[in-house]
Amino acid sequence: MVPGSLTDAGIAQTRIEPEPATDPLIRLENIHVSYALADGACKKVLDSINLDIRRGEFVSVVGRTGCGKSTLLRLILGAERPTVGRVLACGREVVRPDRDRGYVPQKYSLFPDKTVIHNITFGPEVEEFSLLTRFTPRFYGRRREFRSEALRQLRRMGLHESDARKYPDQLSGGMQQRVAIAQALVMKPKILLMDEAFSALDPGTRAGMQKLIRQVWRETKTTVLFVTHNIAEAIHLGTRVIVLAKDGGETDGSKIELDLQVPDLDALAPNQLEEAFAQITARVEAATGHSGLDEEEEG
Amino acid sequence: MSLLSISARPNRVTCWVLSWFLFAAGICLYFYTAQKRHKENPDDRVVPTIAQIGAGIYQAAMNPDADEEPTADAAAQSAVERFRNGMLWKDTVASSRRFLFGLALLLPAVLLGLHMGLFPYFGVFFLRFILFFDKIIALSVLPILFIAFGIDELSKVMLIVIGVTPTIILDTFNLTKGVPPEQLVKGFTLGARDFDVAYRVVLKQIWPRVLNSIRLNLKPLMLFLFAGEMIASTDGLAYRIALMRRHMGMNIIIPYVLWVALLLFLVDLTMKLLNKRLHPWFREA
Repeated sequence: MVPGSLTDAGIAQTRIEPEPATDPLIRLENIHVSYALADGACKKVLDSINLDIRRGEFVSVVGRTGCGKSTLLRLILGAERPTVGRVLACGREVVRPDRDRGYVPQKYSLFPDKTVIHNITFGPEVEEFSLLTRFTPRFYGRRREFRSEALRQLRRMGLHESDARKYPDQLSGGMQQRVAIAQALVMKPKILLMDEAFSALDPGTRAGMQKLIRQVWRETKTTVLFVTHNIAEAIHLGTRVIVLAKDGGETDGSKIELDLQVPDLDALAPNQLEEAFAQITARVEAATGHSGLDEEEEG
Repeated sequence: MSLLSISARPNRVTCWVLSWFLFAAGICLYFYTAQKRHKENPDDRVVPTIAQIGAGIYQAAMNPDADEEPTADAAAQSAVERFRNGMLWKDTVASSRRFLFGLALLLPAVLLGLHMGLFPYFGVFFLRFILFFDKIIALSVLPILFIAFGIDELSKVMLIVIGVTPTIILDTFNLTKGVPPEQLVKGFTLGARDFDVAYRVVLKQIWPRVLNSIRLNLKPLMLFLFAGEMIASTDGLAYRIALMRRHMGMNIIIPYVLWVALLLFLVDLTMKLLNKRLHPWFREA
């Protein structure tokens, strides 16, 4: 692992500092993940991962396809368990997904059977009212409050109230992801986990979504873990970039090859910005061992 | 463009004519055969003429079962009353009651399939047994059912259970397994508990497909119901068909067969329209 920051390189002084906190929000302790293959062999995915994520950080995770980025995210999410080691969230071991960790996947991010407004109100409703208590009069009163909060979130995401009654398949990919972010944020999660959330979007929509998520992060100070294979996106968005890569051959598990603090690029002068961006990109590319383009684009 | 071209685009009128052609041809062929046979043998009962079928329909719809005690004021009854006392209506009600009971039995089957697909312990406990159960030919155990459960309604219900529910359980199980795992995880991250995920996320998503599966299994359901009624029953549409067979009553059997097909078609259509209306988000593959 190569820790570092741009201040080490003497270029930028401005950095978005996460909120000071004694304990990390997320801690990965000596994580190993491996799968048994059909032929009896063992495929290592992650190897000796130790990572602390503090409150308020925007952590981008990059790496080649198959390097275990999504596995890392799923471990933090609680959708997968490590073979060795443990994942702690707020000091408690993560054993399954829960409402403290919001999730925005690349696909299937919304419930197809629910309208936009119901997708957003689903979380608050299900959390407060069980299958039986949702038929009580109190539910109908609270539902009005849930709806108004959902509409507020919808507007914040740049969507119109007229979109509220639409079903997910009536929305564009970008709009779907906006709703998915609103759906996750309405639960006020401690950390938002985004797994290649913008990968399926066209470049224009993707740029808009990047701006949006950055703005949301600034406003809410929600900790974000953003998995992507686009290096430029990772650097633009993250306050910290983590590069996962395999040290040796294909049979080895991935390790954290680089853990880099990124300065606030928005605060830099244009000439500094270009230089800083080039330097970070070079370091990340060297760590990943490929160019900053998406692999699909490379193809 | 050639008729056998994959790119052929028949117009609206052609579609309409072609789709009804086989019906029209079948009806014409039937009446031609009936006329021809009746010319050769006026007492022919195998292929009744339109007049005989009409008389058969009237008899079935307006006259009570011959075994029933005739009511004294039968002549004074209105047409509606006579229809409601007629054997067609009574048979339809009897079969419909069993049919609806059979349909109701599919709901626990759906819930079992859902739980098997979601809860691993449920899955391993039931799956192997249901897979084996599904391979049992329901009609082959009919004698066992009649011995074990008697010849009352229970044996007919058990026939439906053995015949249709394993298919519905396995269909629901597969549909549940087909829900993307992201959706389950998403549900948990939004504060849902296990049963919330099961009923408010998964069941709601698979429900239109489950309804389609049930729709496609209506015919097997009716098949098992008819088998039960034909062998051991004192009323019902299949009982009447079996009874009429003994008397060579083709003028009643044919309308009954068409009536059953029409009822099944209407149930199928209603379910299809309801599915579309209740689940506007659902797009059939």
